[in-house]
Amino acid sequence: MSGAADRPAAAAGGYAELHCLSNFTFLRGASHPQELVARAAALGYHALALTDECSLSGVVRAHVAAKEHGLHLIIGAELRLQCGLHLVVLATDRHGYGRLCRLITLGRRAAHKGEYHLTREDLAATLEHCLLLWLPAEPPQAEQARWLARQFPGAVWIAVELLRGGADRAQLEALRRIGCAAALPLVASGDVHMHVRARRRLQDALTAVRLNVPVAEAGWNLYPNGERYLREPERLAKLYPPELIAETARIAARCTFSLDELRYEYPRELVPAGETPARHLRRLTEEGAQRRWPEGIPPAERAALEHELALIAELGYEPYFLTVHDLVDFARRRGIVCQGRGSAANSRVCYCLGVTAVDPRRGAGLLFERFISRERNEPPDIDIDFEHERREEVIQYVYAKYGRERAALAATVIQYRSRSALRDLGRVFGFEAAACDRLARVMQWWDGSEALAERLRAAGFDPESPPLTQLVPLARELLAFPGFPRHLSQHVGGLVISAGRLDELVPIENAAMPERTVVQWDKDDLDALGLLKVDVLALGMLTALRKAIDLVNALRGTRHALGSLPAEDPAVYQMISRADTVGVFQIESRAQMAMLPRLKPRCYYDLVIEVAIVRPGPIQGDMVHPYLRRRQGREPIEYPSEAVESVLRRTLGVPIFQEQVMQLAMVAAGFTPGQADQLRRAMGAWKRSGGIGHFRPMLLEGMAARGYASEFAERVYRQMMGFGDYGFPESHAASFALLVYDSAWLKCHEPAAFTAALLNSQPMGFYAPAQLVRDARAHGVEVRAVDVEASEWDCTLERSAAAQPALRLGLRLVKGLSRAGAARLTETRAAGPFTTLTDLARRTGLRRTDLEALAAAGALAGLSGNRHLAFWDVAGVERPLPLEAANMPTAADASAPAADAARPLIGAPSEAQSIVADYASLGLTLGRHPLALLREGLHGRGVRRAEEVCARPEGSAVRTAGIVLMRQRPGSAGGVTFITLEDESGQVNVIVWERTARAYREALLGARLLEVHGRLQHAEGVTHLIARRLFDRTGLLGALATHSRDFH
Amino acid sequence: MRAPKTLDLFAPERLPRRAVRPPVHPVQPRGTPERPARLSQAPLWLAAHLPQMTQASDPVVSRALHSLAVRAQRFTPRVSLAPPDAVLLEVRSSLHLFGGVDGLRRAVAGECAALGQPAILAFAPSASAALAGTRAGQAFTVLEAGQLAGALAALPLAALRWPPQQIERLTRIGVHTVGAALRLPRAGFAQRFGAAQLAALDQLTGRAADPRERFEAPLRFRRRRELPCESDSHALLAATLHSLLEELSRFLSARQCGVLALECRLWHRQAAPSGCVLRFSAPLADAARLAALLEERLHALTLPEPVRACELRAGWPVPQPMQTGGLWQPGERGGLAAAPGVELIERLRARLGPEALETLTLVADRRPEAAWRAGPPAPASDAGPQAAPCAVHRPLWLLPAPRLLRQRGGLPRWRGALRLEGEPERIETGWWDGREVARDYYTARDGHGRRLWLFRERPPPHHWFLHGVYG
Repeated sequence: MSGAADRPAAAAGGYAELHCLSNFTFLRGASHPQELVARAAALGYHALALTDECSLSGVVRAHVAAKEHGLHLIIGAELRLQCGLHLVVLATDRHGYGRLCRLITLGRRAAHKGEYHLTREDLAATLEHCLLLWLPAEPPQAEQARWLARQFPGAVWIAVELLRGGADRAQLEALRRIGCAAALPLVASGDVHMHVRARRRLQDALTAVRLNVPVAEAGWNLYPNGERYLREPERLAKLYPPELIAETARIAARCTFSLDELRYEYPRELVPAGETPARHLRRLTEEGAQRRWPEGIPPAERAALEHELALIAELGYEPYFLTVHDLVDFARRRGIVCQGRGSAANSRVCYCLGVTAVDPRRGAGLLFERFISRERNEPPDIDIDFEHERREEVIQYVYAKYGRERAALAATVIQYRSRSALRDLGRVFGFEAAACDRLARVMQWWDGSEALAERLRAAGFDPESPPLTQLVPLARELLAFPGFPRHLSQHVGGLVISAGRLDELVPIENAAMPERTVVQWDKDDLDALGLLKVDVLALGMLTALRKAIDLVNALRGTRHALGSLPAEDPAVYQMISRADTVGVFQIESRAQMAMLPRLKPRCYYDLVIEVAIVRPGPIQGDMVHPYLRRRQGREPIEYPSEAVESVLRRTLGVPIFQEQVMQLAMVAAGFTPGQADQLRRAMGAWKRSGGIGHFRPMLLEGMAARGYASEFAERVYRQMMGFGDYGFPESHAASFALLVYDSAWLKCHEPAAFTAALLNSQPMGFYAPAQLVRDARAHGVEVRAVDVEASEWDCTLERSAAAQPALRLGLRLVKGLSRAGAARLTETRAAGPFTTLTDLARRTGLRRTDLEALAAAGALAGLSGNRHLAFWDVAGVERPLPLEAANMPTAADASAPAADAARPLIGAPSEAQSIVADYASLGLTLGRHPLALLREGLHGRGVRRAEEVCARPEGSAVRTAGIVLMRQRPGSAGGVTFITLEDESGQVNVIVWERTARAYREALLGARLLEVHGRLQHAEGVTHLIARRLFDRTGLLGALATHSRDFH
Repeated sequence: MRAPKTLDLFAPERLPRRAVRPPVHPVQPRGTPERPARLSQAPLWLAAHLPQMTQASDPVVSRALHSLAVRAQRFTPRVSLAPPDAVLLEVRSSLHLFGGVDGLRRAVAGECAALGQPAILAFAPSASAALAGTRAGQAFTVLEAGQLAGALAALPLAALRWPPQQIERLTRIGVHTVGAALRLPRAGFAQRFGAAQLAALDQLTGRAADPRERFEAPLRFRRRRELPCESDSHALLAATLHSLLEELSRFLSARQCGVLALECRLWHRQAAPSGCVLRFSAPLADAARLAALLEERLHALTLPEPVRACELRAGWPVPQPMQTGGLWQPGERGGLAAAPGVELIERLRARLGPEALETLTLVADRRPEAAWRAGPPAPASDAGPQAAPCAVHRPLWLLPAPRLLRQRGGLPRWRGALRLEGEPERIETGWWDGREVARDYYTARDGHGRRLWLFRERPPPHHWFLHGVYG
């Protein structure tokens, strides 16, 4: 042993790095956990401890990588206490790990998001079964060592981190003396911040980002050199005495804990005393089945139910179903509308429990294995949508029921995107804020394919200049796969609930939102360790549907409910087939609207297909056109076998859904359900893990063995590849199609109520209030203006001579009006109508900003007249002093007539000014479309109205202009940008190819009023304008407000 | 008959007489009035607007305005500044001296052109009206109050330079022009927009007086004093200068100003005047301190001949921050001299010349050559960066640039073999500004026992450099 130092190689295997930060110590660590593990394994490290600062966010990734590389991974954390004590805590076993989790939770919950707060008392009270490495300050404070030695006898080491500061030997000697005095052993460690020293620049840059200063001003906060990497054992052996290196291995040997030991248990309390979870679930399922099939359970469904219950029992998933049922039950009791989405609709048990709503008899082929499979060994995943305005109640119910140490939201790791990376790095190099924004904008829609240098030059940067030659490589490092973490955020709705203490499984911290707590692991981490997660999601359409049905029931005296509207109404399908679907769930998008006249849905199942087919997967897998051709009878439908026919008959022989691909693999290639599910997952992970290549031989051979032509087999394989990330489960489409039908029914039969509900649920959906109102008026709904004498907070329905009630716009549309002010207004009005504005102001006591908001909205028209006079009156309202307001109402009265008496000689606003003011305050106008006012000038330049454009023949060159409603650049569309323009006569759909987009980038991205010159294309009832040239005409809109008064 | 409340503001026959009466003219106009007395006494304002001037705080702007005001004093004694972009001249009495309106317009335009400033000129009976007109780009000539209404009506509100919120509020009630604002009911206007704004409107139409502060060219101190006899006595010179300095000090303190530069000239019988120029880092007004500094320089001066007279020429007065005097004089009962650092710096600069003095400051940078900086002297402050938190002592003397060393057998040599001591300190940083370093620093001893600071470059070919010498 004595010669070990002379022969470094001998010591190589014996080193375990016990102090190592990954990039989950945000803006300090410069390497991914996976990179650290891989590098440590390659260097032949004995073990690696991942010790992010007060965080275990990176450990699951490290754990998965360590299993792959056969490296001993130790779980730990670096902590800095309030008193300045700095140390590393390592978990030795499951108990110690739980204690570490609790300690981190304690520190994180006591501080704001992103920070922590721990004291010596916390440490002493919480830690058990852990080993501690003391990280001495400069100069070392022996008192800290003595305190640690006293508190944790036999479990404390002094970490000696020799980083070539020039006085390593003196440092070692000083620590030796302290070690002798306090009877603490010394151990080598490296304060690792990166896996290779090449990350030094990135580490410096991250430091500057953390301090929010340019790197040139980061000063002493930058490390003097790049020694904080995973150093080669030979180098370490030259730096450290051999006994310090040997000590690392001894510590590693005591840390035997692995994340594999975590045993997650479902919550148990939902089972009544004396019941077993299985019996309880069966009882609830049977009760539900009675409701779903009042005339008796069909034999096929009974068999399917029994199959499901058996598999659930076998895998022990009953508590999960009971947990989800409890949430849904709570929501129903509170009157919160909810509906399961995703693969859970494959389950009859979920259907019976009321979690999902897809009737198995309505045509969709439900495949339970898509939901739960024996082979997958992964908990089922149920996603439930709730009304978006009331979801918080459900989340708080979970916290209240299970307690904050047993329930929390899943985390989402926010990673650097091109914009954020460039903005941060711009600041690192000392660019002005404006230049940082400009730099970040350079990257908008940049996918790395085209020359970055060109873009930079176009934005006024010199790509050859020194800061940029250094910045760009750093940006590439931040943006390289798998995404550099920036901070932790909360998942949109994934709740984790456990039987025991959740904070002994994983640390919990505060989210930015009050009353929310988040575990330190994201969705993938939870999946990898098999933790239960319920996705409690928010869906705006559920809110809108509930409100619309409430309005209809109040208006007509009906008792409609979600899912019980009259089914399969031909009028509804006729409306859908005309693509008259503004506001309808899912099928209101432009791509969907383009498909509707071609597909012409006639029944519920057609809607299921419609929802799923306009997706990147089917489009890229070339399934859309074959399906449409067969549907229109222009292509024969053939099946290679009866088995295949049974799978594909409902989609005319074209596989559209994930479930069909799985079934196809099962019936045609002999896959087991579990294998088929693995295939589906491989399709989903296509980009990340090399795709489905290794299934190919199995698939082709299986199909050959069953007598299928190799050409058919190849086509199926190609289609699977095309599915990629975007395949849509049939169950999900089936759930969504229910909401499609319900919203379409309401739009068709009760457009006023439907529009009111949509407006009252904003923000949601695809269209802004302006388009919703325009569409409602086009369908004959009378829309009445916002008015202080009639409007409520919400939009309401008013009596009208027509079949449809009139829609009264609500005060909620008024920009700048406070909710409290609106409430006071409507309450006061209930006591008697307002006579004048002064009367209104005096009785409501509204703040001036509220009054001005009402004047700006034109809501005072009934009291004051036009907007000019309304503003004059509002400006004249005297604010009585608080005392006067209470005691001397006459004082306000006395001053009022004086203000009101002399009406000023002011002209009324012009039409254009009113329209501009309407948009500014309400986001919509009941007057003419702004383009109508500009029409004369546009017409002179040959710019035609949307109506005229769409009537022109195929291939004609046209010019049109309109307000930009939508600007989309789907990742799947190969660089094509879709724009929807609106003028007074309708909408035009514009397609901008990538080359045109690049040439007219400024206009494409910046214009609110866009003029397009291009060529017309008609295909199957859908019209597109292929853009050749684009011009930003936004200036004309601004001129409307200012110039118009010069032309009387 | 309309109610007084909605009175049309500029119907001339309703203008109260008191409003037309001008402030008392300080200088009697020469010559006989050409017009009836009532009209000739009504003021006539000429506004000269310089559209290029926008920022009042810009020294270029204030200088241009100042120069124009000085030149304008040749036309009338009543000149006012309207920063940032205009000068006002009351010219009623000057009209006949400069060829009437046209002649005056040409003459003033000529002055502006001489300053290289294109200008817009307008005449109006009210200063604010003339100003608003030029600011809206209207070079109108309105000689009588009665014509004002028509001239003002079309002006955009922005020409009034009112606070943006007021303009915004008026715009919202549909008022975009001055004319529309004037048509609003007076009481309602005052209630909504404030009495100050109504007063501004009244000044615009001449309904209310519009007093303007008269421009006075600031003065520079310049005094010459003959000595009783030609003398080269230092004491006599000092005494004379001291009394001059006391005058300067009084001049400055009356204006709450100090000077940044002071020239002292000494006149001789034959030789050219000698003397010196003092420059200060902060405005000075105190006679004793000025005298002390001047004396430092005079001591160093060689007189070519005896002195006949001395003269002090001070720079422009600069506003001086107010200072609190101590209760006790310096040295008295623990009384402190104000900012002793400043005084020492002034004294050293006075004695050695302004360029001779530099201060070293620390810079938070790991690179030894970038860890300090020389700069102009400033009073010492505690807020500077701390010294490098490095474990190794660095030498006080750094070479201006590291010197490449020859090496033998991988070891550096400088005037003989060097012996390396201790362990290396590794510095790798500075990549962001093109002066990246990656070095291992060592201390070494040469043959004479001197301690040197060397480094070896980390990238190949691993050259050795000498960077510093320990004292």
